[in-house]
Amino acid sequence: MSAEIIASIADVLTDNIPLTPISQGAEAVVFTSPVHPYLPKNRTDGDDKLYILKYRPEKKYRHPVIDKTLTKHRTLGESRLLAKLRLIDGLNVPKLIGCDPYHGCIWLEFLGEDLPNGHGFSNLKNFLWMNASDPYSDLVRDTMINVGKQIGLMHWNDYCHGDLTTSNIVLVRAGEDWQPYLIDFGLGSISTLVEDKGVDLYVLERAIISTHSSFANRYNLWVLEGFKSVFESHGKAGLGKYKDLIRRFEEVRLRGRKRSMIG
Amino acid sequence: MAGIVLKYKIPQFQEYTIHVQKYNNVTNSSELRSKLAELPFAYIDSKTVISVEQLSSAIYKAILETEYNRMRTRTIHSECILSLSPSSNIGDALNRFGIKEGTTDIIVIKIIEDSNEEPYDGNASVDGDLVPVSDDEFSTSADKEIIKTVCIPCDKL
Repeated sequence: MSAEIIASIADVLTDNIPLTPISQGAEAVVFTSPVHPYLPKNRTDGDDKLYILKYRPEKKYRHPVIDKTLTKHRTLGESRLLAKLRLIDGLNVPKLIGCDPYHGCIWLEFLGEDLPNGHGFSNLKNFLWMNASDPYSDLVRDTMINVGKQIGLMHWNDYCHGDLTTSNIVLVRAGEDWQPYLIDFGLGSISTLVEDKGVDLYVLERAIISTHSSFANRYNLWVLEGFKSVFESHGKAGLGKYKDLIRRFEEVRLRGRKRSMIG
Repeated sequence: MAGIVLKYKIPQFQEYTIHVQKYNNVTNSSELRSKLAELPFAYIDSKTVISVEQLSSAIYKAILETEYNRMRTRTIHSECILSLSPSSNIGDALNRFGIKEGTTDIIVIKIIEDSNEEPYDGNASVDGDLVPVSDDEFSTSADKEIIKTVCIPCDKL
């Protein structure tokens, strides 16, 4: 990763906030930090806690003025979306801690842990790989159904994720089970369109097929089972919406994610 | 746990020192109310604050806006009260989170910019019992029903 990017954010946050880079995307870099951005220090909660910083660095290829407004707009947009999603009962998303739209910073709670035996971080992808020796266990089944429920709940409330992949679903241990959390709403939106929701489902289906091909059929059925259960719990209106959605999902599956041939 | 007065700095903004105090059984709230404009403090109705996290996030936002953008209100203290509010309406925020006629439990915020101000001596002109600043103390005086009406954006109600 470019040292220049790290220097640019360290300059804003000062030496008091140590940062460890953990991942980089096209638009943002993600860091962890042991320091909370604003909570008074001498509080009694565990000291090993980590916090996530999602930082959108300046893009040199854009005009500085346009760059500033874009960064601000996107940082704010993602934060607001996350804050609204957090208010939905039963939906698991990371807690928004802070937001500095002028430097493109979003502070979030840290979720997940390292899986046992070097299986990597506890996102859905690594979890499914870890369980590849017993791919159809009850644990996997329940987890996939819960993933479907999370997506269903999000779509029922007219929110779309925009980039649902198996690495954007983080599993948090809850006793023996794992609770899925949806992360990275950088492409998220509020949308009443069945198209966007169909695309969400399609992108996840493709992600599962490409990373876990041997067991993908069963996995996808479980996800849809959980997804459907949310809509079923809302009676007739729910079922109607569900049918519209699935019809569009099948259409998307036939033609691919892009509706037009451009772009 | 912190002492009776919470004094801290935000990692990112070392040049500001923040003092938080809480008073119960305050008797001079109407007098304070009439002098709000002259007193360099943020007086907050503690019914509307449930945790240190809620309060410190507002302080963080207030300083962040002051440093990187611009103040929407006249002082950094009123900026703190505005930052507690989900809306950007200043009058609304002051009415909801500021002290009212008869408020008995008050949270006081004092922010000092180290470079150009005298250190704070702890006197916030409040007549009342000083109590420790903590989540426990905040949650005993908070009123969840009021918080629901002031903290949740109107379109969610």
